[in-house]
Amino acid sequence: MRKGIAYFHIQLKRVMKTFPRQAAVNLLVCLCVGVLAAVFLRDGILAGDSQKYRIGVVGDLSSSYLGFGITAIQSLDDSRFMIELVTMTEKEAEESFMRGELYAIVELPEGMMDAIESGRNDKPISYIASQGQKGIGTMVMGQIVDVASTLVTSSQSAIFGMQTLMLERGMQEEFWDATNRLNLLLIELVVNRSGLYEVEVLGIANGLSVEGYYFCSILLFLLLLSGIHNSQLFLHKRVDEPRFMKSRGVGAWSQVAGEYLAYLCLLLFCTALLFVPLSFCLEKELLTIPEWEGLGAEPLSGFLFALLPVMAMFAALQFLLYELVTGVVSGILLQFLCGLGMGYLSGFFYPAAFFPDSMERIGRLLPTGQALQYVDGSVAGEGNPRAACGVLLYLAVFLALSALVRRNKIGRG
Amino acid sequence: MIRRMAVRYYLYNKRLFKKYSFLLILCMVPLLVGGIRLLAKEESGIATIVLCLTDGEDELAARAVGELTEEEGVLRYLRCDKEEVARQMVAEGEADAAWIFTGDLSGSLKEAAAKKRVRPVVQVVERKDSVSLILSREILGAVLYPAFSYGVYEAYVREDLGLRDISEEELRQAYERTLVEGSLFQLAYLDGGQAVEEDFSYVQAPLRGILAVWLVLCGLAACLYFMQDEEQGVFSRTPAARRLPAAFGVCGVLLSDGAVVLLLACKLAGVFTLWQREVISCALFACATLAFCNLLRLLCKTPERLGSLALILTAGMLVLCPVFLNLQGFRAVKYLLPPYYYLLSIHNVRYLYGMVIYTAIVSVLCVLVFGWRNRSRIYRN
Repeated sequence: MRKGIAYFHIQLKRVMKTFPRQAAVNLLVCLCVGVLAAVFLRDGILAGDSQKYRIGVVGDLSSSYLGFGITAIQSLDDSRFMIELVTMTEKEAEESFMRGELYAIVELPEGMMDAIESGRNDKPISYIASQGQKGIGTMVMGQIVDVASTLVTSSQSAIFGMQTLMLERGMQEEFWDATNRLNLLLIELVVNRSGLYEVEVLGIANGLSVEGYYFCSILLFLLLLSGIHNSQLFLHKRVDEPRFMKSRGVGAWSQVAGEYLAYLCLLLFCTALLFVPLSFCLEKELLTIPEWEGLGAEPLSGFLFALLPVMAMFAALQFLLYELVTGVVSGILLQFLCGLGMGYLSGFFYPAAFFPDSMERIGRLLPTGQALQYVDGSVAGEGNPRAACGVLLYLAVFLALSALVRRNKIGRG
Repeated sequence: MIRRMAVRYYLYNKRLFKKYSFLLILCMVPLLVGGIRLLAKEESGIATIVLCLTDGEDELAARAVGELTEEEGVLRYLRCDKEEVARQMVAEGEADAAWIFTGDLSGSLKEAAAKKRVRPVVQVVERKDSVSLILSREILGAVLYPAFSYGVYEAYVREDLGLRDISEEELRQAYERTLVEGSLFQLAYLDGGQAVEEDFSYVQAPLRGILAVWLVLCGLAACLYFMQDEEQGVFSRTPAARRLPAAFGVCGVLLSDGAVVLLLACKLAGVFTLWQREVISCALFACATLAFCNLLRLLCKTPERLGSLALILTAGMLVLCPVFLNLQGFRAVKYLLPPYYYLLSIHNVRYLYGMVIYTAIVSVLCVLVFGWRNRSRIYRN
């Protein structure tokens, strides 16, 4: 026991030597995340206030219906407050799009209106919403344009249908007058389409606010990945060191306990240091979490205490991963794969509710899933004893496995 | 020369593969993404909507529910036939919203259309308003609108044009003559490719980005590996002036393995496009990563500093490169990150040229920094 404690002291000294560097990295990451979040939030607010999404319209704009449609969207529809349609040449649009000045490009093929007038859909309008492969944003946009397509095709069928009937009955005199009136009527109905349903909002939040959810996710993700920049702590060890320590009376369990606790202390100090700028931001309301609104930085101390089991579990996981592999390459790659893979499945990036049921269940069962549920519960002030038990269970399992792997290493020599 | 290079390539690889854990990690990547692809096949959505059909007899409501449940979109639909159950599901968080089609939907729509006024015909119950639910309501509007606009057209023809004696069949025929099937829009890419050719869900969409960040970490790990070897004197027989090509060689071997795994994983993840395009993009990306990581190695000087940079880089790449979301702004910083070029080069050939220029510039910088460091070392000695 005495030797074990002495071993812990030595490890603590070794680990704490890296504290300034670790703290600087953590603060730098925190600063980067903070700056990025602030800029993106500012842009979002600007977009909500006055900045519009510019969409470049290129191609065959010769049809009068198109000009009319674009004018109608720009002057009547609710979307005019968000979207600005700009007609331009293909080259201009492409260059603006690549410079990030356009949100999307809509390309109207030649003869599209003629095809539509004859009931064909062989010349679809292309819209380019992303430079890379499609992602969640472009898929959502796909649904929005499908909605637009339904509104346009249904309205035009009504107009063309009426025109056909009028021509068949020789009503040429009032033809254009009737067409215009039906056009205006349909535009009015499209603009007021939200009146087709009555919305009742129950006002029940899904556990956490978006801000609270992502605050927890980002914090946990950074904690989880901290193993990557701590690689030097684990990998510089000499291969025969565990055997040597065993011969000096420090067994596998004592070795793991000593090294792990020292590492946990480092992680704890680094996290506590992160909470200093965080509390400043909360106090000055630079960062607002609806669950803690009006409380300033007060909830942070309790939250740091609540975070302890998660930090302990993540430290144990990182420790085990480094114990399992040899070499810097495998160590870093395994940390990244496990961190990002588990984080993704558990909803650190997209909320877990976005995933299929089985994936969501797996994500919840993972150590990261248990940690997220537990921390979410802490922020929401509801607590989650089940997730807390899960976190502690994983902690015990990781430590036991680490000790077993170490014992095996000593035995193999 | 080529034979010597091949032998060295083989020997470096042999050294890497001697560590089973490395081999295992390389195999883990395709297995992991393949698993996610399998799981992603199940139904998923950014919001869950309960479609409550209280009157199963109503043809229009049944058709609307059928269309919604069959379409492949970003929403997930559940069905139920009791309003109380639907409300309870929303209240308990099993669903984000419920669309309650009460009573005679066809009749209500027809009545509203006859008056040429919009009035509520569906009850929407939501837990809390959100962006995904705003989108869902737009979809609901689009489901109801065709029947509504037909009703308006019918009323207009009969009443405003005075053609009261016109038959239902004639009205329908005139309307459907120009009715366009399917969507008027299609998602396309700058290179002219169509998004429909790529059949994957949003769950799989970030996998390529994650793999790209993983390859950069492979490069950083390879540099750390080289630095450790250097410290242990593995390259003591290599003249100082040839250390840079040696570093490029050692890291290049590891990155080539990583690039093969990346290609395989993209294929298994379901985000693969065309062989030619993928191979060229991946090869250029590996070269850009090689140069980038070596420049960082030269600038950081010690393994500790390089290791510390890994976390900052990982976090930066995940946010700034289009992995999960393509955020605007910070273009200057984005252009410094190799995954940014790779992820955009899949559908835009300009970024392939960008990667070539990037690799050339960063390699030149590597040579300059290396030369400068060597010279200052000589002066010190």
